[in-house]
Amino acid sequence: MWLTGLGLVTPLGIGVEASWARLVRGDCAIRTIGLFDAQEYRSDVAAEVSGVATPPSEAPWRWSRTSAMAVAAAEEAMRAAGINPTRSRVGLVIGGTTGGMFENEELLARLHVGPRPHEASRSMLSHPLTSTGDLLDEVLGPFARVRTLSSACSSSANALIAGALWLEGPLGDGVELDAVVAGGCDGLCRLTFAGFNALGAIDPEPCRPFDRRRRGTSLGEGAGFVVLERANRAYARGATPVAELAGWASGSEAHHITNPAPDGATISSLINCALERARLKPTDIDYVSAHGTGTPLNDPIEACALARAFGREVERIAVSSSKGQIGHTLGAAGAIEAVIAALVVARRTLVPTVGLDEPDPAIRVVHVPHVGRAVSRVRAAISNAFGFGGMDSVLVFAEPRDDAATPSRAFTETPIVGSLPRVSQGARASCVVTGVAVFGPCGMLSADDCATLAERALDSSPLAIVEPEPYLDIERARRLDRASRLAAVAAGRALSDSGAPPTNTGVVLGRAFGTVDGSAAFMHRIFDRGPRVASPAEFPNLVPSAPVGHVSIYLGLRGPSFMTADLSTSGESAFHQALELVATAEAPSIVAGAVEARSAIVEDVLAGMFASRGHYGSHRPEIAAALVVESRGAAELRRARVLASVEQWIEWRREGERSIARLMAPHGPCAEIVLPRPSDTLEGLLAASPWNSCRRTVLGGLDGESDAFGAVALAMAVGRLAMGRTDEVLVIGIAKERGYAVVLRRD
Amino acid sequence: MHPDSNLDLLRAEIKRLIVKELNLEGRDPSSIDDDAPLFGEGLGLDSLDALQLAVALDEQMGVRIPDGDETRAVFRSVRTLAEHVAKVRGA
Repeated sequence: MWLTGLGLVTPLGIGVEASWARLVRGDCAIRTIGLFDAQEYRSDVAAEVSGVATPPSEAPWRWSRTSAMAVAAAEEAMRAAGINPTRSRVGLVIGGTTGGMFENEELLARLHVGPRPHEASRSMLSHPLTSTGDLLDEVLGPFARVRTLSSACSSSANALIAGALWLEGPLGDGVELDAVVAGGCDGLCRLTFAGFNALGAIDPEPCRPFDRRRRGTSLGEGAGFVVLERANRAYARGATPVAELAGWASGSEAHHITNPAPDGATISSLINCALERARLKPTDIDYVSAHGTGTPLNDPIEACALARAFGREVERIAVSSSKGQIGHTLGAAGAIEAVIAALVVARRTLVPTVGLDEPDPAIRVVHVPHVGRAVSRVRAAISNAFGFGGMDSVLVFAEPRDDAATPSRAFTETPIVGSLPRVSQGARASCVVTGVAVFGPCGMLSADDCATLAERALDSSPLAIVEPEPYLDIERARRLDRASRLAAVAAGRALSDSGAPPTNTGVVLGRAFGTVDGSAAFMHRIFDRGPRVASPAEFPNLVPSAPVGHVSIYLGLRGPSFMTADLSTSGESAFHQALELVATAEAPSIVAGAVEARSAIVEDVLAGMFASRGHYGSHRPEIAAALVVESRGAAELRRARVLASVEQWIEWRREGERSIARLMAPHGPCAEIVLPRPSDTLEGLLAASPWNSCRRTVLGGLDGESDAFGAVALAMAVGRLAMGRTDEVLVIGIAKERGYAVVLRRD
Repeated sequence: MHPDSNLDLLRAEIKRLIVKELNLEGRDPSSIDDDAPLFGEGLGLDSLDALQLAVALDEQMGVRIPDGDETRAVFRSVRTLAEHVAKVRGA
């Protein structure tokens, strides 16, 4: 897997060269915040990007600073790689956490108390996480596939991993991508600044990773993107690699929503796993780009984990953290620091830890203090990113190796969290569904009951609210907010029905808008009474990936975990992400699903703006759906009940008709199409398909509209297969210019 | 008012605050022992709870909890917390 192009926007400069020169020189970009008044906070310094491009005069409200930085960095990477999405099939994966929060936090604070001004909410077009991906698609695309994901501070590291998985071979639709643009972006905003301050995680002075006097981190902002290509394909078109993405690993600590697990065991396991995948040993590693936030907790835990993973080599391997110069760039950090690690390898130059004047004697690593320095060689490097909720990722970069030009190699070592052998690359693990659950106005439905969602549910009134608390261990669930509770109930039921072991299982949930009402309330308090009353326990729940973190902790799930977003096809995107993780043997099992909790702002403002038909104020039920996706091998080993097998899956942007034409024809007369809602557009796309003559089964048992309905429809489809109501199902969900389709069969 | 019954009321108020702010749903505030450790064992609170409690005490009772080593001593139990609050208010 080669990196053929890099792009950066950092507080040290716009562009790779500007940032790199100042990184090596040891410049610090952390200074008094200019973006907003930070006088009342514990700290008033951060690393800001200056020179963010001004939005185009046409529809400027669609451009957040976050998006502007992403466009600049992605464009640089694509230009460097020489790829053209109009002439080849290119995918896009973006990680982030803030989206257009800076541009909308004042409006949100007003929306918390005031009436909902539909006209004034135009700027909210830049608010959802997906707005950046959609903008990039318009400006730099067209991309064949677009994925938006979030896992707090490891978001864009996971974006690189998700992008690499797309290139691991033909996926569910048999169509290969030529390249993937992967990375992330995040902009500073008052909400994250107040939140981190409330947690006491910010150093009043510019942060000092690994230093004896460190008191916390400094926030930053920026964007980082890479172009990933299969080595043989890039080689064939004459591209030169900057470095190789040799390995990766992603997993969850299942420990605490903000604090890292003290034993660092997950981190060292992931490092081992990533090295294994890269077919490298600690003796091959010459550099670590550490997460190195400078908080009292993170640095020693990370150092211990490095020692555990590297053994004696930790006495040789250079370690530094760029956060002393560019701050913690949150959702962008994974990608920005990946680019830095790749450059360290490519340019044989170590970057320093700035602010490290008095190394903490308890942190025993080889530091690179103050300024960077050239070395004879950096054969391979790792880059760490750890997110709130214990969602950790490790990436391995290496000098391009001779055998990289040949088809991908196979490996059979065991993955970190399972006791199952990996499949060799190029082969695909066959995916099955072994558990489903839906929790909402219909009550708690598991596999067989889900089939009933096709009909009007006779027992429940449309406005029924079913409380999750009776289904939860309330003491352990006390920190979970509403959405997290609904998700935990559905996921917990699906998982226990399937019998998949939690330690082998990850979780991917889809959600369109994040915790909007909570963010509005949080900001209102700050504007009304000052940042000192910002609630420390509330802030972690405002991160878009919070339900994933909470579910992973509550259920003890140690596999890869992240949130995906794609408007009303958010649940579908999560299911597809889970299929990709299982099919490529990244995890033996994943709980995939979607959740939507009550939100006045979503109902009154956002839903109407982003639905294909404006639906202001229409009823939106609170609902969560979960499906357990497993490799067939894992399910068979456990003798699990297989509810459905996944035969084929496709996602598309714009190419609806052509994509549906690629679907395998239905086998027999009992096949049906399952839809979350009726759609004329969809009927048009199906017109030329052999599926067109099959009956449609529409999710009819729930009133109103929800972005989680796609996942509910998938659960219903599995239920109908399990009950023998049908032998074969095509489940399709569409939103604006995008769609997802899955063919499931009775096993 | 007799100083001891003042402290009694204060402890009761703090217990209610703990249950409300930290989402200890269904827990009866009066069931919290005055001297039980708040963190680690006993009530089993963690550092995030300590932060939340400190903000709530500041906002609702006007009392700041000092940063650093003193924090542990102040937060050891409901009793030590009440004594600190009384001291700060009385001063």
